[in-house]
Amino acid sequence: MAKLKYRLIPEGAAQGMVPINLVFIDKKDIDECGILMVEACRIIAKELNEPAAIDVMDMDAITVTSDGILADGAVVAFASADYGVVNREFGFLGVSEMPYSRKLLDEEPHMKQWDANYRGKRLYRGSYGDDMRPRDPLNERQTITGRIANNNTGSEMMNVVDMTEILTPMYGILAVMRDGEVLIGHSGPVISVGIGMVVRERAGRIFGWGYGAGQTAHASGDYAKTIKSDCWALCGTKEDLAEYTIRALEIGMIPGRHIACSPANLCLAHAMGLPIDLDGIFANAWEELESIGITRADLEKPCDKPMSREEAIAHAAEIIPGIEDGKRFKVSDICQIRYAEC
Amino acid sequence: MKLMHTRLPDFYDKLKAAVRRGRPEAEVAITGMENVKTAKLASLRVGRIENSIYQLTKEDPGIEKVEISIHPHHPETAHTVLIKGIQKDGSCKKAIMETVYVSTPGVDCRLAGVDEVIDNRAQLPLDDPR
Repeated sequence: MAKLKYRLIPEGAAQGMVPINLVFIDKKDIDECGILMVEACRIIAKELNEPAAIDVMDMDAITVTSDGILADGAVVAFASADYGVVNREFGFLGVSEMPYSRKLLDEEPHMKQWDANYRGKRLYRGSYGDDMRPRDPLNERQTITGRIANNNTGSEMMNVVDMTEILTPMYGILAVMRDGEVLIGHSGPVISVGIGMVVRERAGRIFGWGYGAGQTAHASGDYAKTIKSDCWALCGTKEDLAEYTIRALEIGMIPGRHIACSPANLCLAHAMGLPIDLDGIFANAWEELESIGITRADLEKPCDKPMSREEAIAHAAEIIPGIEDGKRFKVSDICQIRYAEC
Repeated sequence: MKLMHTRLPDFYDKLKAAVRRGRPEAEVAITGMENVKTAKLASLRVGRIENSIYQLTKEDPGIEKVEISIHPHHPETAHTVLIKGIQKDGSCKKAIMETVYVSTPGVDCRLAGVDEVIDNRAQLPLDDPR
């Protein structure tokens, strides 16, 4: 009988900062067992028999973060598990591959990164089209079984009974899959504001075509900093975030024009003396940025000594704001490798 | 007959009557529609529910209480939020509508520990398994 490998960060891990069982499965391990992704999720749900959010990762593919940065790894399916099952109708969502096309690259300026940095890699963003059945167009990309809702293509996991929540941005998931280091803490005001500053995408991972670079999808002024500020977040290290963001900045991606005007993108570009489209940032986005202390006046001041790529990565923790009371953990200290019979 | 619809008060009466038919002494608890004050319900579906209640109760003399709870089929629901400012005379000059998405516990929470579940609900078209 084949054994399906999976990673479990159990509820209570990381000194109690992880409120929900988090399961990550490598698509390759599912393929080796010769089963479907949905079957893998059901097998783990049955074996675990506890509430859990499940993400299936394709580590050879790429995705787009909410900042508009292309990154290694992609959520190719996600699920909610509880009471030993995955709800037949709403417990699982697949993510279809986004085909390469000139039209896509022409319409979405941040996607130039695909040609420049990830040519030939398969792209997965969010569930779209028939993936979403039987949900209607007003539904988010969310699975629900019992108490667990796994939202925004596997990046926002909630228990809708005790109402706890943890965000799992892509670099955090990447670190888990690579046995690296993660940064866990409260999202705080900066992440709350930043996750609303997105890029315009056809069938994006979280948002769709409504809001382009320079805009805020939250559009809620001073309140934006409170939206997710009390949630836990399992992030990659700021060095990892810097590495991927710099890859985009180095090929000419400009915050506010091609990529999001998120705090991370703005602060890194400014520290490296790289261009920012200050005029491309909408007034309501400025309002949200200023509420967390990022002002146009500060960004207009030239950087005294622009940092190199290496310096920016080394000083990423000082440059990039966000995460309150954060602690770094080796993934091996908080994550269990388990095997389920299939 | 297919197009007939049942009044909401009749719906409650029919469910209670169906319980009494199978288990006259059984307690009945109906939840989930507390905020719906007036409605019409598809009669064929109401009839099926009455039959299911009767089937369940007549088969098991040990049943002392029947719980009937009504849930949205999809636990993530999109709602219209209507905001109205009411004047002293009860009139409203302006209203604003917003949308809010609500994720509620799946029906699985209610089924935990149940030995046998018969799913007679309308089947929704799913994506191909993958």
